[in-house]
Amino acid sequence: MTDDAIVRIRGLTTVLNGKTIFDNLDLDIPRGKVTAIMGPSGTGKTTLLKHITGQMRGDAGSVELDGQNVPALSRERLFELRERIGYLFQNSALLTDFDVFENVAFPLRQHTRLPEELIRNIVLTKLQAVGLRGAARLMPTELSGGMARRVALARAIVFDPALILYDEPFVGLDPIALNQVLLLIRTLNQTLGITSVLVAHELAAVQKVADHVYLIANGKVVAQGAPATLATDGSPWTAQFFGGEADGPVPFQYPAGDYATALGFPGGKA
Amino acid sequence: MSNGNDNVVVRSLAQIGACGLFLLTILAAIPRSFRHGRETVRQIWFVGAMSLTIVMTCGLFVGMVLGLQLYDVLSIFGGTSATGTVVAIAIYRELGPVVTALLFAGRAGTSVTAEIGLMRATDQLDAMEMMAVDPIAYVAAPRFLAGVIALPLLAIVFCAMGVFGGHLVGVTWLGIDNGTFWSNMTAAVDVHKDIVDGVLLKSIAFGIVVSLIAVFQGYTTPPTSEGVAYATTRTVVASSIAILALDFVLTSFLI
Repeated sequence: MTDDAIVRIRGLTTVLNGKTIFDNLDLDIPRGKVTAIMGPSGTGKTTLLKHITGQMRGDAGSVELDGQNVPALSRERLFELRERIGYLFQNSALLTDFDVFENVAFPLRQHTRLPEELIRNIVLTKLQAVGLRGAARLMPTELSGGMARRVALARAIVFDPALILYDEPFVGLDPIALNQVLLLIRTLNQTLGITSVLVAHELAAVQKVADHVYLIANGKVVAQGAPATLATDGSPWTAQFFGGEADGPVPFQYPAGDYATALGFPGGKA
Repeated sequence: MSNGNDNVVVRSLAQIGACGLFLLTILAAIPRSFRHGRETVRQIWFVGAMSLTIVMTCGLFVGMVLGLQLYDVLSIFGGTSATGTVVAIAIYRELGPVVTALLFAGRAGTSVTAEIGLMRATDQLDAMEMMAVDPIAYVAAPRFLAGVIALPLLAIVFCAMGVFGGHLVGVTWLGIDNGTFWSNMTAAVDVHKDIVDGVLLKSIAFGIVVSLIAVFQGYTTPPTSEGVAYATTRTVVASSIAILALDFVLTSFLI
């Protein structure tokens, strides 16, 4: 798609427990842009992020991040690469032994020898950006789901990484927090040139923040384009997904046997 | 049926093999874990100091009941003056390291397994990986080291309390002469054979085994509440069997 891609995926094929998650998938993430990855539940959007970060390896194909073939990297090289990546987990994954401040400070303490005062200033700046500076001394168990997500977001951006991967960043946010998070993702992208990849289902939010959208289904990219026009591109995939229809190329039902037979009605298919 | 048994054997052998490889991974990560020295000290406090109450209480009662039983048996032969000696040797060579390790597996091993298992279930270990922090060096190695350091110290405390318990029953309650109790004991106890080999060597070996099992079970637990529950149970069962089997092997070499 672009010559200046920070992530370049070619022919990625992944089979998990006999189910094909990716089937010869090709995908580029343009550098310095906000790219959204959308698709029905269970199509492997989070799995795709895990391939980009080297948490998972495919059965075939290549995943290049900044020119490096991620599956071929040693653990040490992978850790070096990850120091330049921010990752927002779907369930926040805050360290429960630490308070909010220490959670955000954790990557700084592990990878730098910055003076305490500077660490404090960086952490408070990031917490201010997500609206939780006042919650710095709360423990993760004292946070709501939305607050925990914003703390995890502050932790993901604490290093101002070159690439940030957001897994469902808008879930559980109230409209005010949602707007601020959208603004934050945009600001990070525009002021620091940070590349963002977000997995999300909220089309309205994606339209406000993303430069490019990939729609993934059945292990492949089935549609892509600018968020403003993608929903009306006339493709049956986008029509079903963005229209929220049960009928279409993406089956709503998980594969199963005959319904009438399962309920014990006579005349069901054997 | 035989296929099922074969599967159990193969699974068990695979678990032992995986556990061995995990030990090598932890040993390789120990130099890197020195960066997290405060975490190791915190874990020594958690698994060591926090286990003191149960270890001291149990040590006292084991010594007391041993003193009582031995006095009863030895009085048949008119040898009650040897009560202190036999209490001390039984505790130093066997009961001290073995009972302390069993208590340690139940008190500290299970909590280590549950803690790491919950960290796995809530993606905290994955989050560390994504922050380029090695969870083996930051989580597993400090807890392993803490167990290996804490268990011998706890065994020494257990032995001291056991001998004190034997003294309490034998001398204070049943009237054995205080001088006889101590002089017979100090004359019979060999520092190298009974203290170094009996208490320290065995409890270091038990510390390695129990800590390894606890950390391994937590680290490899399926990320579900049922998975954590099973892993915690497996820590106690596997540790108990390993302690008693290893005790026999070590004793057969040391005796």
